[in-house]
Amino acid sequence: MNFKDVFLQHPERRYIMFGGGGGVGKTTFSAAAAYWLASQGKKVLVFSVDPQASLTDIFKRDIFGKGPVQIMDNLWAQEIDADSHIRKYQQEIRQKILDMYGMPAVPEEIEHYIQAASAEPAMEESAMFDAVVDVVMKGDYDYYIYDLVPLGHALYYLSMAKVYDEWINKVTKLREEMREYEEMVSRLRREKESEQDQILQELLYIKNRINTSAGILTDKTKTAFFFVVIPEAGIISDTQKAAGMFAQFNVPVAGYVVNRVIPHELLNQNIPEYLRRRIEMQDRHLKDIRTAFDDQVLALVPEMERDVTGLAMIEKLATIMFA
Amino acid sequence: MTEQEKAEAEKSWLETIRETLYGMAAHDMSRAALRTRASMEHLFILITMGDLLGVPILPPYYSLRLLPYVVPQIATWKRRMLREKDVADAMF
Repeated sequence: MNFKDVFLQHPERRYIMFGGGGGVGKTTFSAAAAYWLASQGKKVLVFSVDPQASLTDIFKRDIFGKGPVQIMDNLWAQEIDADSHIRKYQQEIRQKILDMYGMPAVPEEIEHYIQAASAEPAMEESAMFDAVVDVVMKGDYDYYIYDLVPLGHALYYLSMAKVYDEWINKVTKLREEMREYEEMVSRLRREKESEQDQILQELLYIKNRINTSAGILTDKTKTAFFFVVIPEAGIISDTQKAAGMFAQFNVPVAGYVVNRVIPHELLNQNIPEYLRRRIEMQDRHLKDIRTAFDDQVLALVPEMERDVTGLAMIEKLATIMFA
Repeated sequence: MTEQEKAEAEKSWLETIRETLYGMAAHDMSRAALRTRASMEHLFILITMGDLLGVPILPPYYSLRLLPYVVPQIATWKRRMLREKDVADAMF
C-alpha cells in the first residue's frame, strides 16, 4: 500500500496526524497532505498545536493566533496562540467571579492563585488541548490535519487526557456523594429540592471536553496517525519506542513515511565521496526501517534541493508523496 | 380574634410542633450530615485547588474553571486545613 491509497481507501479518516522527533518534517508533510487533499476538492484545515509553530514559515503567511486563515481554495491553516488563549481564559474566570459575587475586584488571594496557576508549565499544554476541542467540535471541515508537537509532548498530551479523565471521574464521584448528603438534609428539613450543583455540571462539562479530544486521538475509524522518520541512526529506535507507547494509548498508527532520502540517481553522476558515503549510510538505515516497520512504510520522500516553503514547493512535495 | 388571626395562631402552633419534632428526631442527623458534607467540601477543594496550600495535585487549567464556585469557601477551608487540633475539635 502507498500513501495515497490510505487516503483513497479510508475517506472516513478525517483526522490526520503526523508525529515524529523534532525536525523530521512533520509540518512539511502536514502542509503537503493538506495541499493534496484540498486540490482533490476536500475542505481542509491544517492546524498546529505546537507553541513553536512553523506553519507561518511554510505557507509564508503570518497566521499565528489569527484563527483559520485561508491559504488557497479549500485550504485553511491555523496556529493556536496558547498565551493569548490563556490570558482570555483567565479574564473569563475573573469576570465570572465578579459577576457571581458582585465583587468590585477579585480578592487578592484568588488573584494570586489565578496567576500562579497560569505560570505552571502544564498550563500551556492544557490550554492547547482545550483549544483543539473548540476547533474540531465546530466540524466545519472535511479533514483536520494536526501538525503535532514532537513525540514526547504528544505522549504527554495523551497521558494527560487519561490522567484527567480518571481524576475527573473520582472528583465527580465525590461530588455526587456530597450531593446525596445535601439531599438527605433537605429531606430531613422538609425543604424543597436543593438547588442544582453547578460544580457537578462544570465537572461533567470538563469530562466531556477531555473525552472528545482524547476520543479523536484514539478513534480507529476516524483517525490516521503517521510517523515521520528519517534514515538516520537513533531515529529508528526512538520511533519504535514511541510507537510502542502510542500503542498503549490505542493510537491508531496508519503507517510510516520516510523523509530526507537522498536520491539514488545521484550515484550515476560524478559525485563527491562524501555524498556517496551518505547515500550508503542511508541505504543501511533504510534497510533497518524496512525490517522494523515492514509493509507499513508508505512512502519515501527525497531530500529536496531547497527549503519547502511557499505553495509551489509544497505542491512539488505533495506530488511526490501522493504519487 | 378574627378568623385570619385564629388560622395564623393555629398554623404557628403546628409549626412549633413540627419544629420541635424535627429538633428531637432529625436535627442531630441533619447536623451530622451537614458536617460530613462540609468535610467533603473541604476535601473537594483540596483535590481541585491544592496549589493554594502549596500542594500541587494536577494541571491547573480546569481547576481555574471551578475556582469561581469555591471563592467563598476558600477562607474557611484554608483555616481548617492549616489549623492545629484545638479544644473546639472536641466540642463539635
